Amino acid sequence: MLHFLKILIKVKNPYLFIVSDRPPRDQTIHPVPSTLQQPILVKPPLARHFRLVIAQNFMIVRLIYLILFSTSLVMVAQSQTRISGFVQDEKGEPIPGANVMIKDSYDGTSSSVDGKLSFISEELGAKILEVTFVGFKTFSQAIQLAGKEIEIQVTLKEEINQLDGVVISAGSFTAGEENRRTILKAIDIATTAGATADIAGALNTLPGTTKVGESGRLFVRGGDGSETRTFIDGMAVLDAYGPAAPNTPSRGRFLPFMFKGTSFSTGGYSAEYGQALSSALVLNSKDIAEMNQTDIGILSVGADVAHTQVWDRASVSGKVQYTDIRPYFRLINQEIDWKKPPVSLESSAAYRQKIGKDGMFKFFGNFNQTSFSLFNHDILDPTIKQQFDQDNYYRYGNGTYQQSLGANWSVRGGVSYSYNQNKLEFDGSPVSETEQGLHAKLVAEHSVSDQLEVRVGSEFYNRNYEVTRYNSNSDTNEALTFTEPISATFVETEYYASNHFVVKAGGRLETNVLNNYTSLDPRLSLAYKPGKQGQFSFAYGTFRQSPQNQYVRIDNQLNPEKAEHFILNYQIITNRKTFRVETYYKKYDQLIKFENGNPNALANTGSGFAKGVELFWRDSETIKNADYWISYSFLDTERNYLNFPTSAVPSFASAHNFSFVYKHFLTALKTQVGFTYSYSSSRTYYNPNKSSDQFNSDKTPAYQDLSANLAYLPKNNLIIYLSCTNLLRHDNIFGYQYSTTPNDQGVYVSRATRQAAPQFLFVGVFITISKNKSVNQLPNL
Amino acid sequence: MKTIILFFAFIISISAFANDEKYFAQMGKQVQAVYVAKTIDEYQVAVNALDRIANAEKTKWEPYYYAAYGNIMMAIAEKEGSKKDSYLDLAHTAVEKGKELAPAESELVTLEGFAHMIRVTVDPASRGQKYSSLSMQTFGKALSMNPKNPRALSLLAQMQLGTARFFNQPPTEACETARKAATIFESPTESENPLAPRWGKEMNLGVLQNCK
Repeated sequence: MLHFLKILIKVKNPYLFIVSDRPPRDQTIHPVPSTLQQPILVKPPLARHFRLVIAQNFMIVRLIYLILFSTSLVMVAQSQTRISGFVQDEKGEPIPGANVMIKDSYDGTSSSVDGKLSFISEELGAKILEVTFVGFKTFSQAIQLAGKEIEIQVTLKEEINQLDGVVISAGSFTAGEENRRTILKAIDIATTAGATADIAGALNTLPGTTKVGESGRLFVRGGDGSETRTFIDGMAVLDAYGPAAPNTPSRGRFLPFMFKGTSFSTGGYSAEYGQALSSALVLNSKDIAEMNQTDIGILSVGADVAHTQVWDRASVSGKVQYTDIRPYFRLINQEIDWKKPPVSLESSAAYRQKIGKDGMFKFFGNFNQTSFSLFNHDILDPTIKQQFDQDNYYRYGNGTYQQSLGANWSVRGGVSYSYNQNKLEFDGSPVSETEQGLHAKLVAEHSVSDQLEVRVGSEFYNRNYEVTRYNSNSDTNEALTFTEPISATFVETEYYASNHFVVKAGGRLETNVLNNYTSLDPRLSLAYKPGKQGQFSFAYGTFRQSPQNQYVRIDNQLNPEKAEHFILNYQIITNRKTFRVETYYKKYDQLIKFENGNPNALANTGSGFAKGVELFWRDSETIKNADYWISYSFLDTERNYLNFPTSAVPSFASAHNFSFVYKHFLTALKTQVGFTYSYSSSRTYYNPNKSSDQFNSDKTPAYQDLSANLAYLPKNNLIIYLSCTNLLRHDNIFGYQYSTTPNDQGVYVSRATRQAAPQFLFVGVFITISKNKSVNQLPNL
Repeated sequence: MKTIILFFAFIISISAFANDEKYFAQMGKQVQAVYVAKTIDEYQVAVNALDRIANAEKTKWEPYYYAAYGNIMMAIAEKEGSKKDSYLDLAHTAVEKGKELAPAESELVTLEGFAHMIRVTVDPASRGQKYSSLSMQTFGKALSMNPKNPRALSLLAQMQLGTARFFNQPPTEACETARKAATIFESPTESENPLAPRWGKEMNLGVLQNCK
């Protein structure tokens, strides 16, 4: 679970107190090395082999040398050429500090503050003059040196700089370790209070998401949880969330510490990603590990152990985690009537191997097994209860390979396999549901020039689904099954007109073999950066996704559901502050709809829309040792799908979502504390006591949560961690369930869906053991 | 015949000598410039000259070394994170080129570690994990190539001191490393290379101030 602590320490690592923003005092005080102060011509520093040759006849050598030297002086006097001029950029602004040189010689100069240059060269004949400056393309020009002064005007062209130039930011949040432009760092996922080290938990504090407390998934811009698709190293993942009891939040199956970066797109994403209506969550696994280490975690809800072994060109990491929440539940009263609370065993493994000069092979695997058992109580008569058992078996593996082919081409490809089996039992009657998915992908990328890049890829999905149910009346097993092969090809080009304007255009051609449906989806995004920092982005695209399994298993001729995104974004990132505002319009089409309310007669006749405005502000600068961000999302959405009698706000949507995340490192206490406050305005729910024109018109109270966490580092390799959700003990109600039949008075009786427990308290102790003594463990905890 | 061969050998050695003469003269001047520079502009001028020498010579690692050193110093002097990074990128490229020419040179590897160390300052929260461990490992590598490299020892001592301070521990380990560095700084072994790096003594005194 909470591995992130290892990263935590570095948050405010005060390592660099000596290397400050001033040059080391050396520079001014330290005397110039004595040998270098001596006039070298007087006493030449001779390399050893010259000494050998010269020692025998030193005097003669000196003499000849003197002669040679004086003749060359004469020649110099005859052949000096003055080169003068100036260096400017394309706008005519002078460039100071540019390096001006005669190629393959020592001769040259640096341009002055006003861009001027002037120097004398002793070279003769046809030469090449080169001018270089960081951020600009090298200028070169053939010149003839013959003693006659040369005047040059140099205009340097800006280099396309993908680090500081314009980037497409509409709809996308990237979280990485290094890039300063990332809005959320990899470490943030681990250290956000209330996220409990869950990837989705941390991303739910970003704009564009809607808190759906009883689900734990990512609900993006009026889309439901299934509309966000997870990819690991570009390869599809099926069933990315672990099993959870009804109305309790599920956790992502993948631990944040396995990944170096995350790209969370809330819309308008690349043509490379398909089968996702609302959002693509792209996780990039870590590269080769740097050192051998063993990590042990003792948690209030279980234990884990991990080991990493490193070789010269490869590394392997493995981890096993056992979670047993029973002792905790014995202590803290739960809303749920557990027969057997969840017990899970999870292991993951990662293998990385460098191949050749720049090839990289990655394997990632995950295995997970969870079981629990509980009683569902009848709403009308709570003394009537029904037992529900669930066993979940999950396996995921992917292998990817990446290779450059020369300077301008690269290829990458991979295969992934997901297997998910749920064995359920309702009062002793078993249901088994199995989904298997295979995904293969090959992508070639070509840099036509430093301004134009082309990407072409092809991929293939094969998904197999089966559900079997034992029918006690007929004493037979009933099965519903389908196999869905999908093939897709995508092309995308990215053109940097300058460091101020970029456009990315592409398309995705997808064929669903199961129902013979072919679609062509255009994707377009562009960004314009008028000045040094702020930039505007726009994104457009159409997106498709097969309906959820419970519908395809009834009717496998259903067409994919469709969404169309329009996104406009403004973003400004200064050194350690980020401001972002985004507005969007999203149109849903071909949604699954129950014909005449019949859940077995399905058609693609549903539709809907979502629109909204989102704000984000992050500041790691103003308050010393502190970092905070604020996000706000406004969402206006309605849809007419499934059993909706009319267009209505779906029950997972809330109009206003607000998050405030604060982290503070207390150096004296060696402790990081964090707080997260989340607010979600009321959500709709369906009240069967009302007429159908008042469908989903009832509203829950607003959701509020204040969570805190604390990490204390008493020793280099030891972390003690504490976290607690809902400090204010707010009674959050996510919705209401109604009895299936009315009571004696003809009224459908309701029951509120609440959190499983008002608070969740977690304690963990994390120890790292590493043998490498020369390297301190602190950075790797 | 023998005399003729000797004469040619003589001439060749002299012209090589003259080339080296120019190299050492120019390098002496520019190394001094990079040592005394205080502002980014001054560093830039020296680094530019070192780049020109590196490009013209093609087989000498020292100009790459001092160009990298100058770029690291500019990164330290620079306030803006993105510019710090671009100076460090240049330092890294120069170190890599130097390493191609002198793969066993502990001083180049030390600068590589130094650059990693400065990378952390751009964003300690998110980069600390990767770059502080990387820099310590790189200093370790430099020391395995030359256990008596005082600069690698002194920079490693800084990292160790930071760790000790963080945990409110006595800086025993850091001081030990810094003292080792100090001993070497005090009695420099006579290098055959007049361009061998000599900086770092003052910096090491800074570390030692914490060891009383």
